[in-house]
Amino acid sequence: MGLNTILDGYSLLFLLLMEEIVTRQNYSEKEKNEIFNNEFLPHINSMYNFGFRLTLDRDDAKDLVQDTYLKAYRFVESFQKGTNAKAWLFRILKNSFINDYRKKTKEPSKVDYQEVETYYNSEDVNRQITPDLRVESLKDMIGDEISNALNALDVDFRTVIILCDLEGFKYEEMAKILDIPIGTVRSRLHRARNLLKEKLSEYAKSMGYKNTEL
Amino acid sequence: MTPPNNPFILADGKKPTCMEMLQVIIDGEASDEQQEYFKNHMDRCLPCFKSYDLDMAIKRLLKTKCCGGDAPTDLVDQIKVQISQNSAS
Ligand SMILES: [Zn+2]
Repeated sequence: MGLNTILDGYSLLFLLLMEEIVTRQNYSEKEKNEIFNNEFLPHINSMYNFGFRLTLDRDDAKDLVQDTYLKAYRFVESFQKGTNAKAWLFRILKNSFINDYRKKTKEPSKVDYQEVETYYNSEDVNRQITPDLRVESLKDMIGDEISNALNALDVDFRTVIILCDLEGFKYEEMAKILDIPIGTVRSRLHRARNLLKEKLSEYAKSMGYKNTEL
Repeated sequence: MTPPNNPFILADGKKPTCMEMLQVIIDGEASDEQQEYFKNHMDRCLPCFKSYDLDMAIKRLLKTKCCGGDAPTDLVDQIKVQISQNSAS
């Protein structure tokens, strides 16, 4: 095991410990359990959906969520009561996914962020990418089309759409969960949506062909 | 043609594109002033007018089709068992 691997493996622990040093709370056992039951567990369905959308596997999602909740309990003293528990949990899950799961499956990140930034700052931004995709064609997508289109996106693009559109996190919360600047949140979201629209217009086209055949 | 008092203009003075403004609106991150400005802008800008409906429809579709699934019923119990085992040891 190389030094880098060891360092990466401990980066979450390190981050959590740093937070703990800064804002360490002193909770009694009773308080800990109250926080866990009342502030953490209510997010279990959102957490599971996030885990599933990241791993695209129900068993892996279960492991990831379980692991996240165990970590959340272990480091509960670095959680400040009344602050955004959901964002805190999502951040732990996302870090576990990157540090443990992604490493295990050796799935490299395929997103070229340099390209994203360049794209976003170019004149292309105002171009209508998918003039053939219309609101009406979305009405035919009553099955798994949108879900499949989302799952087909690269994981980093998928993630911003999950956080923003499915879970309703604000840009600032997303920046904290993902440890990236707000500008990057915006540009990644923009690119992700264009890719999603491309996939949706492919579906729309194939449905259109089917309809004319009938 | 952007009036000088565009409330979307960033700290660096860069003029925002239609898509950048639209994104802020769609995601509910716009201030009252920005919303007002965009409403007027949309009356004059066909691409924004069309994209607004499409983007909102996609956002709604994502929300209704891609979440709402429940976690496995035994997951919470398994987590609680694990925690009590860990704190017992
Ligand atoms: Zn416009």
